[in-house]
Amino acid sequence: MSEVLKVKEVKQQFYTRRGIYKALNGIELELRKGEVFGIAGESGSGKSTLGLTIMGLLPRNASVTSGSVLLDGKDVIAPLREYATKSNQKFNFRRNENVIKKMNRELSTIRGNKVAMVFQDPMTSLNPVLQVGYQVAETMLVHQPRTLAMRRLARANAKRSDLNEALKVLRATESDEKALEDFFRNKGLEGLTEQVISIWRRKDLADAKKEKMILSLHSEKLSWFDRFVLNAVKEKGNLPSWLSKTPILSRYTRRVLLKEGYLKALELLSTLEVPNADKVIRMYPHELSGGMRQRIVIAIALANNPELVIMDEPTSALDVTVQAQILELVRHLKVKFNTSFIFISHDLSVLSEVCDRIGIMYGGRIVEIAPTKEIFDNPMHPYTKFLIAAIPTLEEKEIQEIGGAVPDMRFPPSGCMFHPRCPYIMEICRERVPDMIQVSKDHYVACFLYSGDNK
Amino acid sequence: MKLWVYIVRRLLLFIPTLIGLTFIVFVLSHSGGTNLVLAEYVNPRLTGEARTLLIQKLTEEFHLNQPIYIQYFYWLYQIMQGNWGYTNTPIFSGSVVTAIELFLPNTAMIAAVASILIWVIGVPLGVYSAVNRDSATDQVVRVGSFSLYAMPIYLIAVALILAVGVYLKILPFAGVVNPLLVSNLSWYHNGISYPTHIILIDAILHNNWQVAWNAFLHLLLPSLTLALATVASIIRILRASMLEVLDQDYIRLAWSKGISAKLVYNLHARRNALLPLLTLFGLTVAFLLGGAVVIETVFSYPGIGYWTTQALLNNDVGGIMASTLLFGLILVSANLILDIAYAFVDPRIRY
Repeated sequence: MSEVLKVKEVKQQFYTRRGIYKALNGIELELRKGEVFGIAGESGSGKSTLGLTIMGLLPRNASVTSGSVLLDGKDVIAPLREYATKSNQKFNFRRNENVIKKMNRELSTIRGNKVAMVFQDPMTSLNPVLQVGYQVAETMLVHQPRTLAMRRLARANAKRSDLNEALKVLRATESDEKALEDFFRNKGLEGLTEQVISIWRRKDLADAKKEKMILSLHSEKLSWFDRFVLNAVKEKGNLPSWLSKTPILSRYTRRVLLKEGYLKALELLSTLEVPNADKVIRMYPHELSGGMRQRIVIAIALANNPELVIMDEPTSALDVTVQAQILELVRHLKVKFNTSFIFISHDLSVLSEVCDRIGIMYGGRIVEIAPTKEIFDNPMHPYTKFLIAAIPTLEEKEIQEIGGAVPDMRFPPSGCMFHPRCPYIMEICRERVPDMIQVSKDHYVACFLYSGDNK
Repeated sequence: MKLWVYIVRRLLLFIPTLIGLTFIVFVLSHSGGTNLVLAEYVNPRLTGEARTLLIQKLTEEFHLNQPIYIQYFYWLYQIMQGNWGYTNTPIFSGSVVTAIELFLPNTAMIAAVASILIWVIGVPLGVYSAVNRDSATDQVVRVGSFSLYAMPIYLIAVALILAVGVYLKILPFAGVVNPLLVSNLSWYHNGISYPTHIILIDAILHNNWQVAWNAFLHLLLPSLTLALATVASIIRILRASMLEVLDQDYIRLAWSKGISAKLVYNLHARRNALLPLLTLFGLTVAFLLGGAVVIETVFSYPGIGYWTTQALLNNDVGGIMASTLLFGLILVSANLILDIAYAFVDPRIRY
């Protein structure tokens, strides 16, 4: 299987007024295509920081001292690492921020396109002064202007007979997308495929209504300006620079594409089962509930069908019914788009619902990686055992708590990070950092209990 | 609640505000040792019977034998009738309404140019300073804006006059136009231009570009002074609010979309950072009015502020009361307009 993401030996720290926090201390991670990888751990174990590091979305006081994150064949954190090695002891916030700005420029082709992120708190992660439709459309406008142009042009060029035939194709092949795609390509109307399919797939509408909607996607009127702009985008792949750079003109040319972006956002929101999506896209975030906002954030992440979506505690701020809906959504998307997910949560029971594999993090390291079933049936690392024992259940058993607290990451413990709280502590745990060892297929653990050299 | 209900409620609130303001000024200006009304209207060289008769007539007309608060209500009654009284200053004597008609356009002109300058200078500097935090430019902008903030407005005016007007001799610094240029014009008499009373616009209307250019140059220094005095606080607050916004989750989300830095800063961040500035702009209007009084005096610029100063210096009660009411009216209206503007800029606010 091919890897979507390769994280190697990442060490990352934050410079603060009270000292240097060593957030990540050598993370190793490989993610396969179409896999949902869960990351669990207590607060302060570096879960969210790992997500942000993979995206390169670090604040100005963050420094990556070593390691690499390979995403889409590109080392995302290379500039930060280079600065950290070059500056050595003299860390300068301003210089580091300049490096981050450079990274923002370099990564703009990857972010939102190949990899996207869903943040923890839906209440604060949408811009309060922009319509949600715009916030979804914007990311499509940047990464796939050609698709938008093709969609609108196809609608303008199609005839009613074309759509009648398309419906016949759909019925004859029992909703085969491939057949429809070929049919539209032969007609030169590629942009119509996803529009027709997204209506066809909707569950909330009766068949007659769907057919009526599909049949209305033709002979749309275009002003000469719209047609000119759309054709230019279709040929060049993006807005010609003389159109997008001229101050006032750029606003109008962007608007042509934005209009189509809103329509695509509408389709996307319907796919995500947002009720009244046509009204919702014109709303502002404060008019929507938390669960609804999180769906919008997920829609933004999925807008360009990225290969990898990082979800940082996407359900922690939501109530359980909405949480169940979102988990169902993730499962559905995994199957439909073959997207890989990194699902970060402190709640193991949530992870058990959706993940293929789970990694347990402690003190900025991954201490155990195993398939979901395996980690619950046969947890090996003492910390994992504790985490699983601490899950509340319906049975009246005593919930075990872990003695001690998460270590102060300014002064991390020597050797194994967990040794101050570990009941099975040995001499070697204080001295050396345990290596990841393979105990069975796909099951890795970093603990001297299983390494054999524990003398 | 509908917007118009809100507007009506705010308009009703104008009444107590303005009554309070004018009452205080009225009592203060009428309770001095000498009666200002008599001092203004009675010629000191007039003696004997005529003087007594005149004083008697004035006492009756202005109800001077009544207590001050009763006099105030008589004044208020006259104001409601549309009779704003008379002014008698060296630069103008006649009806107050005419004085406002002549002087207000000039002040509006420098306030407008200053407002444009404030936004054109302040917003880009504030945003740039926040985006490039701690860079050399940021340090310069911060020190510069702080110094300007600490300087009294007349000091900025005098410094600019000395530097630009006297030593460099680039810009004129007195009046609205070079008097030699306008001495023979049909639309300009006694320092008043027609029809709008703003010489720059009148010159353009009459297609006289030489005068227009000269009037424009005369406009620059006063407006620049006014702008510099205000822009400092705009830069400082915009920088602070921009820094706060740049730390928000939605900005991180914007970065995660892979959109350009320009879009993140100028749309996602700036639009949010400008919201607190709207409130500040209400205060700016007050500051511009107060500043106009000082600046127009320093630059001998015939605006409402210059006229107010003259009225104050010449014990001109009519002028003082009318300008107080006018300033108060402008200020409360500006704040009302801003509160309504909020509803359009910030989708979270609905009245």
